[in-house]
Amino acid sequence: MRYWVLSVFLLLISLWYLSFMASRLDRLHHRVETSWANLDALLQKRAAVALEIAHSDIADPASSMLLTSAAYQARDAQIQNRSQAESGLSGALGLLLEDARHLETAADNALLTELSALTDKIRVAIAMHTEAVSRTQMVRKKAIVRTFRLAGSAPLPVTYEFEADVL
Amino acid sequence: MFMRSLKIGIVCPYSWDTPGGVGNHIRDLAEFLISAGHDVSVLAPVNDEYQLPSYVVNAGKPISIPYNGAVARILFGPVAFARVRQWISSGDFDLLHLHEPAIPSIALLACWAADGPMVGTFHAAAKHQKIIFAIGPILEPAIEKLSARIAVSEAARLTLTNHLDTDAVVIPNGIYASHYAHGIAQTKWQGNTIGFIGRFEEPRKGLSLLIAALPAIAAFAPDVKVFVAGPGDPSEILKEIDPQFRHHFEFLGKITEEEKKDFMSSVALYVAPNTGGESFGIILAEALAGGACVVASDIPAFADLLGQGRYGALFPSENSTELAKVIIELLQDCDKRLKLAVAGKLRAQKFDWKVVAEQIYSVYEMSIVGSEKVKLASDTRSWNRFLSKEDKQ
Repeated sequence: MRYWVLSVFLLLISLWYLSFMASRLDRLHHRVETSWANLDALLQKRAAVALEIAHSDIADPASSMLLTSAAYQARDAQIQNRSQAESGLSGALGLLLEDARHLETAADNALLTELSALTDKIRVAIAMHTEAVSRTQMVRKKAIVRTFRLAGSAPLPVTYEFEADVL
Repeated sequence: MFMRSLKIGIVCPYSWDTPGGVGNHIRDLAEFLISAGHDVSVLAPVNDEYQLPSYVVNAGKPISIPYNGAVARILFGPVAFARVRQWISSGDFDLLHLHEPAIPSIALLACWAADGPMVGTFHAAAKHQKIIFAIGPILEPAIEKLSARIAVSEAARLTLTNHLDTDAVVIPNGIYASHYAHGIAQTKWQGNTIGFIGRFEEPRKGLSLLIAALPAIAAFAPDVKVFVAGPGDPSEILKEIDPQFRHHFEFLGKITEEEKKDFMSSVALYVAPNTGGESFGIILAEALAGGACVVASDIPAFADLLGQGRYGALFPSENSTELAKVIIELLQDCDKRLKLAVAGKLRAQKFDWKVVAEQIYSVYEMSIVGSEKVKLASDTRSWNRFLSKEDKQ
């Protein structure tokens, strides 16, 4: 009799724990998705600003071409090549900004400040996203999550390789 | 800069009426956000309800426990938990900003109880936080709910990565830099003078190092004066000083904010010989903003704030001989002093509330993307949803 009560109790506890882990995982997946949506929106915005810079007086024809192609590549990249394309755009922007520092005009200055504000935000967004991804990967590695397939059909989030120093 | 008016709930873990770094930070942040048009409510333990600002909600009387080398006045327990839950459910917040959610306090309770966009700020920097280390596995699922983590300094961030295995964005504490920029130099504090502000009775503030360094300094500059400001009884400290050198020290007692900015603009050197326990060093930021040339110990928080020595001179912590050397060199070299002070003043702009609050706000913005309002976690749990559906039928 006593064993019976004990086993029911243990069963309830483990059921509670399973549900707790499942909701914890669900929350993490949600965080991965929202932080990615956030980062994606900011990167799109950056590509738009880069195009605008390419068409402004800041860029000479050669770097304008470089920037335009980098911006389009970043925009159209599939998820697998995304980080590479974005790093390419960072590089192109970096090259241009290095030069542009000497010849800033008032109108273009607004574009450059917008870009630097965006870059700061992207840095934060990357940190938030990679943190969410690594957390999720860590929890999904736990034995209990794998045995009971608590993650369901949600794909394992991939770390987005971003070279933060090029930003 | 502030596009949309948000309803923000801030949780302060420490007693509201006991002055401290975290409390001041929260007060300034709340007031800045309110002036920018947001609706802010601060939940904090309160000892004395008298003269409570309208945006503060009382969470109950705090209890005192020793924590991190000082006494922390915090609050937890079932009654506090009920109040936290009530505050969350009636607040209808877009976002919660929890301060110091890794210590047992109402901030942790709020993190446990709420579901939705949450930002956590970690202030503490300590080498050994054994308590946190021990309860880490329990904390993890709670801390994980935060959509973004902010650390106030590189030192605080390292503490976080070491103990909780999670990363954070570094956003410094804020000061009103423009307020300090217009201090008026007072002749009584000028000349070969050294300033010190803080609770000098606490050993970790390091006043005894300055006392030990003084004989060497006085040998080079016989007219050197040390002004010590801050609350406390100087008689104990005076006993420690060799009578021959006592006339070099002057204790000013507690000074007002107005006096503080004049003080920072007047003294030749501002010295912070703290031996540890600091995670940011707001007083150094204020000294820099006031145009003082700063000498500080090379504890991680200070070295970081002073750009490894670019914006103020550093000396090896707890080494009074080196401290004396650095002070003497700077008192003799007026050019170098000015150069550091100018660089420091520029550096202080980075800590101005305008810059800092914008950074915090952009973290807010990113945290609320794609999320609903803050709710009680128990409302969103599946079995409760199931039960409430049954009720409706």
